[in-house]
Amino acid sequence: MRPLPRLTARLIVLAGLLLPWPAAAAGLAFVMNSGAASISLIDMSTHKELRRIPVLREPHHWAMSPDGKSLLIGDSSGNTVFFLNPITAKVQRTVVVADPYQLGFSPNGKYLVVNGLARNQIDVYDAATMKLAHRFPIRSMPSHLAYSPGSHRVFVTLQGTNRLVALDLRDMKVLWDKPVGNTPAGILWLNGKLLVCDMGTDYVQEIDPATGNEIGRIVTERGAHNLFLSPDRKTVWVNNRVSGTTSVVDAATLKVLRTYKIPGGPDDLSFAPDGKVWLTRRFAESVAVLDPATGKFSVIDVGRSPHGIFLSPNAPSPDRLAAAR
Amino acid sequence: MRDPFDLAAGWVQEHVLIPFLYAIGWMRWEEVSYGWALAAVYGLVQVTATLALCTPLERWRPVERWPDRKAVVVDVLYTLLSRVGVLPLVTFVLFYQVQVDVTGWLVDHGWVPPMLERLVPALMGHQILTFFCYAVILDASDYWRHRLSHMFRWWWALHALHHAQRQMTFWSDDRNHLLDDLIGFVWFAVIALAIGVPPLQFPLLVLVLRFVESLSHANVRLSFGTVGERLLVSPRFHRAHHGVLAAGQRSCNYGAVLPWWDMIFGTADFSRDFVPTGDPEADEAMANGSYLAQQWAGLRRFGAALIHRHAPG
Repeated sequence: MRPLPRLTARLIVLAGLLLPWPAAAAGLAFVMNSGAASISLIDMSTHKELRRIPVLREPHHWAMSPDGKSLLIGDSSGNTVFFLNPITAKVQRTVVVADPYQLGFSPNGKYLVVNGLARNQIDVYDAATMKLAHRFPIRSMPSHLAYSPGSHRVFVTLQGTNRLVALDLRDMKVLWDKPVGNTPAGILWLNGKLLVCDMGTDYVQEIDPATGNEIGRIVTERGAHNLFLSPDRKTVWVNNRVSGTTSVVDAATLKVLRTYKIPGGPDDLSFAPDGKVWLTRRFAESVAVLDPATGKFSVIDVGRSPHGIFLSPNAPSPDRLAAAR
Repeated sequence: MRDPFDLAAGWVQEHVLIPFLYAIGWMRWEEVSYGWALAAVYGLVQVTATLALCTPLERWRPVERWPDRKAVVVDVLYTLLSRVGVLPLVTFVLFYQVQVDVTGWLVDHGWVPPMLERLVPALMGHQILTFFCYAVILDASDYWRHRLSHMFRWWWALHALHHAQRQMTFWSDDRNHLLDDLIGFVWFAVIALAIGVPPLQFPLLVLVLRFVESLSHANVRLSFGTVGERLLVSPRFHRAHHGVLAAGQRSCNYGAVLPWWDMIFGTADFSRDFVPTGDPEADEAMANGSYLAQQWAGLRRFGAALIHRHAPG
């Protein structure tokens, strides 16, 4: 059979992509297998693992570039940041960076802060050039980070010393360094305050960003580890590592609305456009896809110790591409 | 498909270690505890698989029969400590931290940390091939570590503990003086840092290699044949290394997994056939003492060697 001319073929594929998407979320899920030196690529419509993208050693967390064109994945003991195309999942380039455990761009896109958990350092990069602008040697185990909406302050939890540190990115200085709970991890800026998960406790602390003082607590369950704001900004989802649960907190009242049992060490999560919630299960080598309406979840096998998860609903799923062809 | 050993380690982490760490307020160690759980589970699987496979072999065609096996009991303790207990934890934590510090320092100074996959990018994503490359390099370096441990008087004083066993079985692989283990760890760490060995990335494959090492010590009349003996270290080949005539500076067959290095560097001896093992010059405590007595005897011999009062065997 005579092959279709290239332009015609491309138009057919494009037409296929422009067709209405099915109700079940399409796209690709990127799962960082921190114990298997790989990133699992999952078809969100079929829940099938398509392939594994090899990295060097230990991928943990991700950040989306300000222009939306690159998904940055930090390979901490590989000392490398991988830049991936979030639509095609192709590796665009790699940049050598010391211990990129956790990373995040400031809301104004000017800074990239990289936490070196094992090296006890917080690095501030110029986001445009990827040049190191400043290093804060800090004790110890800088873990998660949150920016102030104005981008000039970043708050970092220090797991090793049970402290929370506020850094001024304009003057590159420490604003305050205060004790918090026990093994602080996930942190979120919400409605003018900071919410900090304390993995060694069963609560999330409310912190005044100006002073670093505790102003309240939200009791969830044992091992409050990480928290995420839902896309509609109405709820905060807290993963409790020890109890193996996920608590849904009302973002306005900060009351716990519901708790889901997700065994296997729930860690990071991401929200799909169809309303499902995708969670990594660190100790169960899998991802849970939770239907919040029913509380039931399905499981997708991935690599060892899955940590960060990024959903790319606009990426064309292979099935859809195949159908379009 | 999920790895059942990983799931077992995950279960231990989720249901035993994390609740324990939470209860005592040590949740900051939860990543480390998972590393230990993986190492311990794979270690336990190693020990169980070795026990299940080597015990029938040793009963089937033993090289030697002994009236009692008291001397073997201490070797069991060595194995459990080395593969399931504290040592995997120390090794994992220590090596991981050293690796992070060294490679991070290199990055800070504008260097790209060495790593086989950086040198040969085609290796990325090919786990078995990558592991094989790492294993070959580490085995070659271990050949030289082992050979040097026989050459230097002070080092041999420590390593003699491994050779003192007259009832050599598959349990004898981990029978080492702690200082000898420490030197071995530093040796491994330097080489591993130079080529960027990923800790705990290939636990299943490490398990296979450790099995070969255990099997090579087994009290079994087993040869891999003319060709096989030149591909993989067999019980027959390694027994020659433990022979009473091979103890000390002029030994042979130093290879742990691959006999290639002995063949290349002229130390291979394929002629010796299931010889008696032991070090005639070792203190009796090193052969038959308790764990602590063996360690103490090794330390005394080490001290004596340092002041040149004790000649090597």
